[in-house]
Amino acid sequence: MMLTSKPLAVLVFVILFGGIFFSSAMGWWATESTKEPAAFTEGEFAGLANPADIRGSYTFGDIANSFEVSPDLLAQAFGVTQDNPSEFAVNELEAIYLESGFEIGTASVRLFVAYYTGLPFDTTGQEIYMPTSATDILLAKGNLSPEQIAYLEVYTVGVNPTTLIEPPSLESTPIPVDSSIIEEYTIKGKTVFGDLITWGVPQATIEQIIGAPMPDPAMKIKDYATANGLEFETLKTSLQAEVDKVQP
Amino acid sequence: MTLSTIFLYQIFKQHLNLLNNEQLHFGQLNLPEVLMVTLFGKHIRLFRPHTIWIRRIVQWVFFLLIASIAVSHTLAESGMEIPILSGASIHAVCPFGGVETLYTFATSGLFVRKIHDSSLVLAGIVLLLSILFGPVFCGWVCPLGTVQEWVGKLGRKIFKRRYNHFVPVKVDRILRFARYGILIWVLYVTAKSGTLVFEAYDPYFALFNFWSTEVVWSAIAILIATLTLSVFVERPWCKYACPYGAVLGITNLFRVFSIKRSELTCKADGACSIMCPMNIQVDTQTVIRDHQCISCLECTSEAICPVAKTVVFTSGGVK
Repeated sequence: MMLTSKPLAVLVFVILFGGIFFSSAMGWWATESTKEPAAFTEGEFAGLANPADIRGSYTFGDIANSFEVSPDLLAQAFGVTQDNPSEFAVNELEAIYLESGFEIGTASVRLFVAYYTGLPFDTTGQEIYMPTSATDILLAKGNLSPEQIAYLEVYTVGVNPTTLIEPPSLESTPIPVDSSIIEEYTIKGKTVFGDLITWGVPQATIEQIIGAPMPDPAMKIKDYATANGLEFETLKTSLQAEVDKVQP
Repeated sequence: MTLSTIFLYQIFKQHLNLLNNEQLHFGQLNLPEVLMVTLFGKHIRLFRPHTIWIRRIVQWVFFLLIASIAVSHTLAESGMEIPILSGASIHAVCPFGGVETLYTFATSGLFVRKIHDSSLVLAGIVLLLSILFGPVFCGWVCPLGTVQEWVGKLGRKIFKRRYNHFVPVKVDRILRFARYGILIWVLYVTAKSGTLVFEAYDPYFALFNFWSTEVVWSAIAILIATLTLSVFVERPWCKYACPYGAVLGITNLFRVFSIKRSELTCKADGACSIMCPMNIQVDTQTVIRDHQCISCLECTSEAICPVAKTVVFTSGGVK
């Protein structure tokens, strides 16, 4: 059978667009993510959402819909301070950590969600960096295997989002001190342990001061002091001294 | 100017009647009918008789379609997408994404980042097209190939017959296999990382996203290099670097419809080989199984070959 250009052109169109039409009719055609990660198809986790399929276009709210991880917790883990963390898109993380020199982005969120929820996640051959604030939350939850802890020890980096802490310009004229900025790094009654981590205080230092393992990052320091019979003001002074060391 | 030998072939509708190897004298012909002359033993094409014009139209259609999708995707980010086209990204309508995600999909049921079901569907459709007709996707559909051809017209005007013949044959022959190396590298790093590593080097992505912050400088640089080289070499990216071309090129070895040349009626004027954008020596083969053929049909009797039914696109034999 011989073909010339015109029938060939028609066949190209028919097969290409016919194939798209057919796949669409069969429900196979999707050009955008459904914001729902694919589920595990086998094993004990069959039917549960797979953290490995979290996309950069997902918001923290989308993740919360599929996994038992709240947007607030994700925001705390990754140092996101915007008013409504549910609307924060995962792919924005790379931009705010750009100047850190480490790639903290979608893969970091996948790893965090997997480790937090106890779902399987293969890190073989991958170098997924995690900010200290996220690692501390995971360690505080206490459900990690020795292998997972070892992985985090290697890939946890002490970085802060650049949008939160911008280095001052050397050539800029002196700016009047804004008391609200100072207050941002001041321990108050509502300050939680996670805030200390976010401000850059090492977990080991906190544990040394309180003389116990790191509490839940979401726990208020004041509540911890009350629960453990400690003087809040004394504890606050010691911790504030460490905060001042890392946030002059 | 002295002409040692002149062989002239009639063209357009008349060329269908030239099965008897008519040799005409130069003075007998109107210039518009002149196809080729032989000077000092060398064949020289004076101008082109037929082109596969419908291929140009198909190329334009797909170029405009993909460009519109890219623009619509950008507009969609501001809530202004073009209704019919939705907000699909370029990755969603690129069949190579389906190839890149194949390993990840087979082993975990997931897609690599930025790839969706549509890429896999398109990869399947294009594979079917290629098994039937060879890499028609490259020759008829791929907008990057189209743009290279457009730039190549400038090179053809500047360098005339030297165009597309700058690379020494021995070097060219080796370089043609580089795209398989690139293909293996792309598949390996994509499988290993679960991300579209190739995006940072992909001139196709850069072509339709150069205004976006998603494109990195390396992809832009490769796009510029590709377009610059296109002034000297026809389709340089396709020939030497395209990993998807490498995949589809393999189908040339077993495709259903092939370019076939009849030795009985062939005049051995070399016109088919001269016209081939991929520099395939069509006039020395009876069946074109070259891994670089893009099924553009420019070598066939419908286009450059002056003898009817001599170079044809067929699933059967040829007389």
